[in-house]
Amino acid sequence: MRANFIFSEVWIGLRRNLTMTIAVIVTVAVGMGLLGIGLMINSQVSSLTGYWTNKVELSVFLCGKNDAFPACKNKGAITQEQKDKLKLTIESMPDVQRVDFEDKLQAYKIFQEQGNNALLTSVITAEEMPESFRVKLKDPDKAKAVEESLKGQAGVSNIVNQREILDSAFGFMGKLRNMALGVAILMVFAATLLIGNTVRLSAYNRRRETGIMRLVGASNVYIQLPFVMEGVIAGLIGGVFAAVLLIVTKILIFDQIQTYMAAPLSWNTVAGVITLTMIVGVVICLLASFVTLRRYLRV
Amino acid sequence: MIHFDNVTKVYANQNRPALDHVSVDVDKGEFVFLVGPSGSGKSTFLRLVLKEERPNSGAIHVAGKDLAKLSNFKVPHLRRRIGCVFQDFRLLPKKNVYENVAFALEVIGKPRRFIRKVVPEVIELVGLEGKAHRMPEELSGGEQQRVAMARAFVNRPMILLADEPTGNIDPATSIGIMKVLDRINRTGTTVLMATHDAAIVDSMRKRVVELEDGKIVRDQSRGVYGQAY
Repeated sequence: MRANFIFSEVWIGLRRNLTMTIAVIVTVAVGMGLLGIGLMINSQVSSLTGYWTNKVELSVFLCGKNDAFPACKNKGAITQEQKDKLKLTIESMPDVQRVDFEDKLQAYKIFQEQGNNALLTSVITAEEMPESFRVKLKDPDKAKAVEESLKGQAGVSNIVNQREILDSAFGFMGKLRNMALGVAILMVFAATLLIGNTVRLSAYNRRRETGIMRLVGASNVYIQLPFVMEGVIAGLIGGVFAAVLLIVTKILIFDQIQTYMAAPLSWNTVAGVITLTMIVGVVICLLASFVTLRRYLRV
Repeated sequence: MIHFDNVTKVYANQNRPALDHVSVDVDKGEFVFLVGPSGSGKSTFLRLVLKEERPNSGAIHVAGKDLAKLSNFKVPHLRRRIGCVFQDFRLLPKKNVYENVAFALEVIGKPRRFIRKVVPEVIELVGLEGKAHRMPEELSGGEQQRVAMARAFVNRPMILLADEPTGNIDPATSIGIMKVLDRINRTGTTVLMATHDAAIVDSMRKRVVELEDGKIVRDQSRGVYGQAY
């Protein structure tokens, strides 16, 4: 009886306010969708950061025969003596975990495997590839210090900190995430105002009913619940659209770039994100309805 | 049943009190007319009984409850024991007679079986048998007021408040309305009716409380309307 009555009231309210209801649904869907995308990017960034941070190396490139790097100009290729000395220097550094030597042939193989364009691969010979020490650090955060101390060493042409390359990639994803979250906050704000307005309109439309309910002694819950439910149901429908949006985003975007990522976005994460955005959406609708009712529905 | 003790009500932004040190006792089962010119405080009196307004001073007891001590949470329970009828009927235009009466029970969570049983009884009591499925717009003013009375009475309240119930109805039809109110009164329900209608007050010969400028100027059992003029 009770549930029946309240649902019929909710249905009437939603139908009478159809345009506002649609506006609420769309706003909540977009807002929660963006919030979810932001959260998904965030989970990707942190899982990737964790994955890559462990693999990050310093690449210490060595001077070749006719190297164009200023550090090698006119000095010719690095000598075996210099190489051994450099290796010892690196190994003796407290922050260094391991040092591997990569010769020209290995470098050429990796270069080929990376699938760079065929023309370039055919022109470049193994002889032209640089030799390098691959330095693995105990603490990736110390990379800068190690890099500084190795920079001036004889025979070192150039040092590449992979961390910096990753950081710029992560930085880009971070910006994307912040943008998504920023827009999501705006949308949530808009949704709150819209829901407030919808509930106010609804309360005004049904002031006759609520007046009579008050007179015959309906409890506050009974009077307010249909309005709150209206907001919550609109929020839920918006949340369902947001969930669809998130699933589509995972399939069309995250799964497409998965090949470049070590840790693909799992369905578990997506489910978690969807649950969270749903809860956020519904709670926002609930609060907005309550606050508005306090102002416009005297009980 | 209704007990006003030295009650004063001053509305915000008004200097003159709407009710000025009013003390009245209405016993269980009484029928009381509240008369007086517009603005004399009749409606304020009724609103105070419903706890729609709070007095500035004085104590009000309704159905044995001290309204000042009644928490907002419990006000709906007080209102369930008080039925209300108004000059403008206040029916829901999109619901038929049966639904309008049933609405009052639905919103206080009564079971459907109970509603099916009592609503037809009350519709019959107010003399609308056979019209349960009419819409309010298909009914005359008098019939609409009967629907409103059925709605007010369907939960068997201890008190029925009527604010100018015959104000929009021609004198011939008003007699029918008064008969229904009398019938309700005979079931033991206390009836408090605010009115301008001298003919009705004179014909009923019930207790009359007259208000003027918020003060009680007359309280007479078996009174008539006109004496003070």
